[in-house]
Amino acid sequence: MKSYMLKRVITACFTLLAITLVLFILMQLMPGSPFNDEKLSVEQRLSLYENYGLDQPVIVQFFRYLGKMLRGDFGVSYTISKNTPVMQLVQTRLPVSVRIGGAAVGLGAVLGLALGLVAALKKNTIWDAAATVISVIGVSVPSYVFALVLSYTLGFKLGWFPMLYRTKEALNSSVLPAVSLSMFTMASIARFTKTEMTEILESDYMLFAESRGIYGPALILHHALRNALFPLITVLAPLIVDLMTGSLVVEKIFSIPGVGSLLVSAIQSNDYNLVIALSFIYSAMYLGIMLAVDIFYGIIDPRVRLTRD
Amino acid sequence: MDRICSKEKKASIAVYVPAESDFVLKNSLVTAWPGDAGEAVLEGCFPAQSVWAEVGKRLIRKRSAVLGLLLIVLLCLMAVFGPEMNRYTYSEQNLNRKNLAPGVQILEKTRIINEEETPEIKYWFGSDGFGRDIWTRTWVGTRISLMIALSAAMINMVIGISYGMISGYFGGRTDMLMQRFLEIVHGIPRLVVITLLLLVMRPGMMTIILALVLTEWMGMSRVVRAEVLRVKEQEFILASRTLGAGSIRIMVREILPNSLGPILTQVMLSVPAAIFAEAFLSFAGLGIPAPQCSLGSLIFDGFNCFTLYPYQIIPPAAVMVMLMLGFYLTADALREVLSLKR
Repeated sequence: MKSYMLKRVITACFTLLAITLVLFILMQLMPGSPFNDEKLSVEQRLSLYENYGLDQPVIVQFFRYLGKMLRGDFGVSYTISKNTPVMQLVQTRLPVSVRIGGAAVGLGAVLGLALGLVAALKKNTIWDAAATVISVIGVSVPSYVFALVLSYTLGFKLGWFPMLYRTKEALNSSVLPAVSLSMFTMASIARFTKTEMTEILESDYMLFAESRGIYGPALILHHALRNALFPLITVLAPLIVDLMTGSLVVEKIFSIPGVGSLLVSAIQSNDYNLVIALSFIYSAMYLGIMLAVDIFYGIIDPRVRLTRD
Repeated sequence: MDRICSKEKKASIAVYVPAESDFVLKNSLVTAWPGDAGEAVLEGCFPAQSVWAEVGKRLIRKRSAVLGLLLIVLLCLMAVFGPEMNRYTYSEQNLNRKNLAPGVQILEKTRIINEEETPEIKYWFGSDGFGRDIWTRTWVGTRISLMIALSAAMINMVIGISYGMISGYFGGRTDMLMQRFLEIVHGIPRLVVITLLLLVMRPGMMTIILALVLTEWMGMSRVVRAEVLRVKEQEFILASRTLGAGSIRIMVREILPNSLGPILTQVMLSVPAAIFAEAFLSFAGLGIPAPQCSLGSLIFDGFNCFTLYPYQIIPPAAVMVMLMLGFYLTADALREVLSLKR
């Protein structure tokens, strides 16, 4: 098990390294430069390049940056906010995205689980049908359409929640974006739970448990749901990363100061360090969560370990 | 053959007493699939039907699939013929008739109207901020969104099948390298790739398709690889190899037909994903350039003034929802029908 874990961690690290290198190369492909001001003369521009070390070959830049990164320094921003450390910018934006995304995932997971459970336990009844309809709507209505509807009805017409994000009322103004983002998660989880639970409820060990006299919540929660939860993690994990790192469109609709919009403006204004830092955080989160899921699986399910070793 | 011991019946199989209904032969084949009524039917003695004809039949019997297909067909027809239904074009501007509410010509005659206040020209879905007809623009947008999504899905399918097939079939070091590569590509935020691409290339339909292909092909190749791994070790592959078939023949003639089901489902699912992603691009300011329009750009235009003129955002948003609903319903039904086949 240890060697398996070690192997996985090392692969993930190398993947992350490769991603960073690809990002560096991509930055070189970007048209224009961070210093596009027409007032700058050629010499001024060259001295700026020299100042920031941009006159070096890519590979030198890459290793320099890597060295700094290991010490927690992600460089300074070139254009969006001159010479501010990138991390400082990220620190103001990331928590907002993580909070809203986290709320969306949590809400979606809980509601989806409940819906899926109801659908599986009351199969072929009106409850099942209702749960199915809700999850179909949740999958096929895009999050931004939900966001627009909610913002128009609850935000504009009824005025219950602010239409635009207010930093001072962070909690209240996170409700609408979180709800609209949670719909897709809810629907996916509901569908998955239903399939898993239906399969489990028909399995032999459930029959055995029932014949031993276990009944009610103990039967469902302890014997059935526990087994359905583990596969759910594989569905949930990629959704977590996507939502945590911000959904650009919903951010735009509610003008949330999150990382998605920051990333786009960073790319458009050639703010290399900011783009790399944000992408690095995204990739690290993605790989980290995938790794955690894999290792978790290895721990709880010996079969996984055996086939992969 | 093993339908008789479908999941529901497994528990009680030891005490199974044949009932008369078990021997009812046959046009009832279609009605009595394990999922439908839970009825077991002896089936082995009937000539093999084409699997796909059967899948088609079962699909037609599912209400959700029919609804989904109907939506898709209807919207495709509207995308083709809708813009021709009135005399406006998608880019024709009429600045005197900005932001008009939707209306139909015939209804006008019943009311007494002031010529100057209400123009006699009516737009079915209203007009936008430049005085363009929203009806025409919605269907032209649907056309463009569909074209983008379908081409992206097709290209993804080809790339995904080739990549997944090679990776899964050859296995070993090839598989390891190809999967690592996939992981790296997957780890780069798609927003970075798309934005960069659109900055480098001229914005337009081709660029958007390319962007969608670059970011979406991984899903398909994963599905195909999983399918190859499942099929590869089965006896008929071994038989084929013993008979002297080469790798390419095995891949194309043996593995591919046996994994068509999940591939088809994945294609159906990748179309709405592409429509979704295209709209996402419009919000990032990287969508199709004006005066051309797609569903995404129309929703974005509508969003900019949606508290004042909510009717402008409703048609494109509704069409997009219906389109995605259609594809999801069909894909879902397809998956269900095909998983019963196993």
